[in-house]
Amino acid sequence: MIDMPVQEADLSAIVIHANWTHDALHLWCEFDVASGIDSVQLEDSDAPVHSFALRPQRIKGEDSSILLRLPSIDGKPVPSSSMSRIMGRDTDEDSSAVLMEFRVPSLVVPTIEIGPILESLVEYEDHSQEDDGYTLGPGITYFVAASRLSSHLMAGHRVVPMILQDAQGELTAAWYPWLSDTMTVGRVNKLVRSMPGVARGVVDEHAHDAWSMTTDFLANLTDARCRQTMILEDMFDTVEDADPDADAQVAWLHGLLDNTEEVPSVVGQRADIARRVRKWISELEDRGESSAWRFGLRIAEPIGDGLPAHIEKPDDTVLWSLSFFIQSIDDEEIILRASDIWLISRERIVISGLTLENPQELLMAELGRASRYYKKLEDALDSAEPIEVLIDSQEAYRFLREIKPILEEQGFAVQSPPWWESPTGRLGARLRIESDSVESLLDESGDPDAAGPQLGLNTLIGYHWEIAIGDTTLTLHEFEQLAQQNAPLVRVGGKWVEIRPEDVENAIKFIGENPGGEMELGDAMQLALASDSAQTGLPVTGLEATGWVASLLGGEGGASIELPKLDTPETFHGTLRPYQARGMSWMVFMERFGFGACLADDMGLGKTIQLLALLMYERLQAKGERVDPTLLIVPMSVIGNWVKEAEKFTPSLKVLVHHGVDRSLDESFAEKINKSDLILTTYALAHRDCELINTIKWGRMVLDEAQFIKNPAAKQSQAVRGIKVPRRIALTGTPVENRLSELWSIMDFLNPGYLGSAGGFRKRFSLPIERHRDQNKMGKLRSMVSPFILRRVKTDPTVVSDLPEKIESKEWCALTPEQAKLYENCVQRMLTDVDESEGIHRRGLVLAALIKLKQICNHPAQMLKEADPQFGKTIDPMRSGKCVRLLEQVSELISEGDQALIFTQFRQMGHILSTMLRHELGKDILFLHGGTPQGKRQKMIDEFQEATGKSPILILSLKAGGVGLNLTAATHVFHFDRWWNPAVENQATDRAYRIGQTRTVQVHKYIVRGTLEERIDEMIESKTELAENIIGHGERWLTDLGTEKLRELLTLRADTIADDM
Amino acid sequence: MSDKETSSSTPSKAKKLSAVPAPKAVEPTKVMKKAIEKTAKKTTKKTTKRVSKAKAEKPKPTPPPREDRVVNVISTPTLSASVPTAPKKIKPQYASFRSSRKSLVNPRRVRGGVKLKLKAGETPQSWVTQRLLRVAENGSPNDIYKDGIEYARLGQTKRLTIEDELCEGIIQGRSDKPYTTKISLDHFGAESQEKIITAMADQVRYAAKLLAGELPSNIEDVFAPLGLKLFPADPSDIHATCSCPDWTTEQPWCKHTVCLMSLLAEKLGESPMTIFGLRGMPGQELIDGLRQKRAVGVQGPGPTPVLHQHVPGVSDVSSPPLEDSIGSFWDVGPELEELDTPIAPPAVNCVLLRRLGPSPFMDSNFPLIGLMATCYQLIGEAAMNAEESSDSDD
Repeated sequence: MIDMPVQEADLSAIVIHANWTHDALHLWCEFDVASGIDSVQLEDSDAPVHSFALRPQRIKGEDSSILLRLPSIDGKPVPSSSMSRIMGRDTDEDSSAVLMEFRVPSLVVPTIEIGPILESLVEYEDHSQEDDGYTLGPGITYFVAASRLSSHLMAGHRVVPMILQDAQGELTAAWYPWLSDTMTVGRVNKLVRSMPGVARGVVDEHAHDAWSMTTDFLANLTDARCRQTMILEDMFDTVEDADPDADAQVAWLHGLLDNTEEVPSVVGQRADIARRVRKWISELEDRGESSAWRFGLRIAEPIGDGLPAHIEKPDDTVLWSLSFFIQSIDDEEIILRASDIWLISRERIVISGLTLENPQELLMAELGRASRYYKKLEDALDSAEPIEVLIDSQEAYRFLREIKPILEEQGFAVQSPPWWESPTGRLGARLRIESDSVESLLDESGDPDAAGPQLGLNTLIGYHWEIAIGDTTLTLHEFEQLAQQNAPLVRVGGKWVEIRPEDVENAIKFIGENPGGEMELGDAMQLALASDSAQTGLPVTGLEATGWVASLLGGEGGASIELPKLDTPETFHGTLRPYQARGMSWMVFMERFGFGACLADDMGLGKTIQLLALLMYERLQAKGERVDPTLLIVPMSVIGNWVKEAEKFTPSLKVLVHHGVDRSLDESFAEKINKSDLILTTYALAHRDCELINTIKWGRMVLDEAQFIKNPAAKQSQAVRGIKVPRRIALTGTPVENRLSELWSIMDFLNPGYLGSAGGFRKRFSLPIERHRDQNKMGKLRSMVSPFILRRVKTDPTVVSDLPEKIESKEWCALTPEQAKLYENCVQRMLTDVDESEGIHRRGLVLAALIKLKQICNHPAQMLKEADPQFGKTIDPMRSGKCVRLLEQVSELISEGDQALIFTQFRQMGHILSTMLRHELGKDILFLHGGTPQGKRQKMIDEFQEATGKSPILILSLKAGGVGLNLTAATHVFHFDRWWNPAVENQATDRAYRIGQTRTVQVHKYIVRGTLEERIDEMIESKTELAENIIGHGERWLTDLGTEKLRELLTLRADTIADDM
Repeated sequence: MSDKETSSSTPSKAKKLSAVPAPKAVEPTKVMKKAIEKTAKKTTKKTTKRVSKAKAEKPKPTPPPREDRVVNVISTPTLSASVPTAPKKIKPQYASFRSSRKSLVNPRRVRGGVKLKLKAGETPQSWVTQRLLRVAENGSPNDIYKDGIEYARLGQTKRLTIEDELCEGIIQGRSDKPYTTKISLDHFGAESQEKIITAMADQVRYAAKLLAGELPSNIEDVFAPLGLKLFPADPSDIHATCSCPDWTTEQPWCKHTVCLMSLLAEKLGESPMTIFGLRGMPGQELIDGLRQKRAVGVQGPGPTPVLHQHVPGVSDVSSPPLEDSIGSFWDVGPELEELDTPIAPPAVNCVLLRRLGPSPFMDSNFPLIGLMATCYQLIGEAAMNAEESSDSDD
């Protein structure tokens, strides 16, 4: 791993960029202009020097500089969008930038090191903490992708030995990536079309052309890598004794196998060498004469009598036919068979509007071309009107295995029987697992019977292996028959199948070594779901299970919810929505089976409620017996929510919050816990008090926002993992399956050891999936983890019908110590002041103080007027409980692809939030307030409604967001501070929840616990006369309250302060 | 396919090109611009003084004194001495722009006509505009020039089109019917075009700028050695016709042609690439030509592969000008998200070698293909191993 790319530790804001020019990759960094760093001085520059750029300092390389055309305003380069976000800079004016040349200090890294350096930059960025890390610019992202494409091509043998010639005629040789095959063309298109402007900005002979620059980069990188391999393997030794002057091939190899590219050649020969190699390589691009029609071959099994009924090797005289046809490229349905073509004497045929000129000539020419790749076709050329050739089974196998891919890559169509290369057409091993039925685990009333056998991933289960071909299981006798035949293509049960000789051998060996018996369920799942044939020797074609294991594995793609559905526990206040009842049942059964389970429903679907219901369910089942308490670890920001929800839905549940400076740390801790059912604590305290926590006999541990333990090395994660509990549940709203580091950490918490060690998991899954988007590996991983994750999204048909159109929830936030101190000071000062004043003056004092208190609840910086939007200063969100919660919720909804409106009544707060969110989320944040000009306003709304994902957040500080605004692209509405007037709030909410909205809208009302916000919310909820008065009258009524009343209303409750955000 | 695409996309590209703003100052231009501004300032002072004096002395509206020209000529050497790369014979004569003489023109007014944006007393920002205005001024009698500029400023041009190598204006004068005025330039012949493209392709800087849709400010340096001019430098380089009674072949500069010329000058200042169209080689053709030239390796002494790979969709399409990507300059395209690059051994070993067939050097005894097959094996393994060992997180 490399170190921080820049030396200055205080330089937190750095964006690294990359450009390719003159056969070298240049890295350069942008820094925050406000950090006071001097830019690098460059002597004799031919252009203005970039005023806030420097070289990465801890990467090995050579100092250099490059000429770049960059957007500029007033002759100064414009900070990149990443840098602007870091600085919280307003980018509105950037569209008026013009391109200008700048000289930029850079660092050249050796070509052979490009891959490792770029990958470690990516790695380190992922692992670096937000405040001491760096950000990768789009150029890095681009060249990382290009470098990975180069590796992909090399691994797949997709390189060609190339000859190059310069203006003087001198020859050199190089390994070139081969890009023009169909499967690569798509990838190159995706790559080249994605090249960001900054990567194209370099001024050189490529003239900003993405294709030209990219191929130059790929060619140089690939050659360097291939050449290094040749040198490491001493391949040059093979030609060392041969004379390059006498043999052009030797000369060519000289340029390919050594560290010099030169092709030593006699001047007179050069043109000939270049011509021959060009012609040779151009064969690869030869896809036939016609661009509208292609020649094809159809291989068909022998049909008719005389074929064996069951397993038997076909007679050698049984022949396969390889018949010819011509197919339209535009409409592959249109096929003309050779037998028909020879019957048509016309020079032109028109089928479905498509014209085919000289079909007979095309057929002959293309057959000739195909015979270059498959000599057997030459026989057909002797015939005057060739229609097909006949081949025996051995040859048919060779054709399917070796010739078909080559012909297809050369632009021919090959039609093979449907069983070919389908999983049902190949020999494999299948794992059969027997387990007891789910019903046997239930008691008389249909609930899981706790007295039944202990289960889990360590449970030994009976298994045996079967040799199968597709759905057909073979008996030992049948298999031996197969083995004796020694034929690659045989018929089994009337169907043709491929029997690779090596498969038969491996199968015999495999069965010999794995006779069956018992193994741990976890191992069985590993083997059946995610093994490579490299491990087993032959493909594992599946797993067949009975009983509860079958229920666990469920159907395709996802946790099984086919389990018995339990009803909402009677002691639960309220009714679970059907999907919530299913979620609770699922958790009940997963615990019964002895597995840790992850409930990963979308935000707003009620994970909290489902867990509370689970706790009620188990208490009902215990029939009055004491149930061991549940330890719930949560981020500080959601403690309030849990407490409030438990009060509302499960008032009989005894909840203890282990938090705050006055929390019990002695014997009284165990005492208190023995009287409680649910103990809440934070991740920080779980680590700090972990010894104390470990003295308790817990019934279960639950992690809320379980992604908090995503870094397995972090102390908090280790502490949490070390707590001994019999049952574990994780709750998270992020799409955990797509974030592999989170996935591993959560799974390892739930079912330790199941996914192997962190390092092994990385090698096996993270790297191929994250770097190369390896779909095959992704599929395997998914099938391994999906039994343990229940994730429903709002758009699931099974969920959507249960959901109301609008879900309103209150988000209970805490004050930070800073906020609490400010709040208390403000209240004290006001109470003293009002005592001494009267009338209008007193009212004014109260009103002013109320505004201040609201501001403190929002963020201390708002009250202290720290933020000046003009300078785009970013404010630390950690200083405000509300901001912390907002960030969590907003990042979650963005990861789900949703958009949100955030309402605040203070314009100043809107500014703070917009810079803060821009900085934290790396997205454009729209902010609409009373001062936004009409034109700009419309532009923002259009941008938001387009929902491209670029600007998913719109902050509004207008009362009710302005009448007539239609913002249905939002599915979340946040009321960051309250109007205390439900009518005004609803009007605002209706921006998103109105005609045209097809999805459920979630409304989040932020309230800080223990403050006047909570008191007033209580009053509104109580719908008392006082509350009636509030509505429509703002804070007026408060000003008339007596001092004591005010004190009661405003004084802070001590247990609601967060001390460890 | 590619032909079709090029031809169908030409109009839109041409349109785009014309929207490209004037070239921004780089070193030589910057110096030049400063020099021009300096000179202009000097000129301004002197002229305004002189004009106001003239006005004071001669209340009757008469043609401004010829000394105006003299003033400018005096300033010329300073400029050419300080800027060797600047087009020769720069004579910034904007005196007339600053003339406070009340307009005598009294045409039928037009609503919504095309107006000259350049205000009286302003120096055109673009050197292209400066140069073309000067040519028009040199060609026309002083009064005519002023009246023409006034027409342009008043917006007497009902319609202005620059297409098909022709600039055409419908200009309303004093009579009922508007006049049709046309301006065209000599075309570059096929041979000249070839020479121009080769010359520009040789110069990396020119190629880069042109491909980005920008006109290098010292572009005339490329044309001069070929005996060609890109922009007209003399009134005789311009073919101007007008349907008004004043127009004659001997004196083609009437109010209307001057008016049209000034509008054209401004338009070309805004989108200088348009000049290539007027010269009979549309910008897109030029860019394609340039690209082709670079692709076949005419330019650049470096080695080029004997075969250029064809990748439909990218190798046959040129990137949009960098200027156009300014709004998304820092964005990676969305498709990169979908790019999968699995590291896996091939389904068929050495598939390319198999497709390539026997060695291109059949007469040789050396087992090239066999050796290559070993190389492929090693390369594949190296890529697989590199992936395994590149894991820095053990």
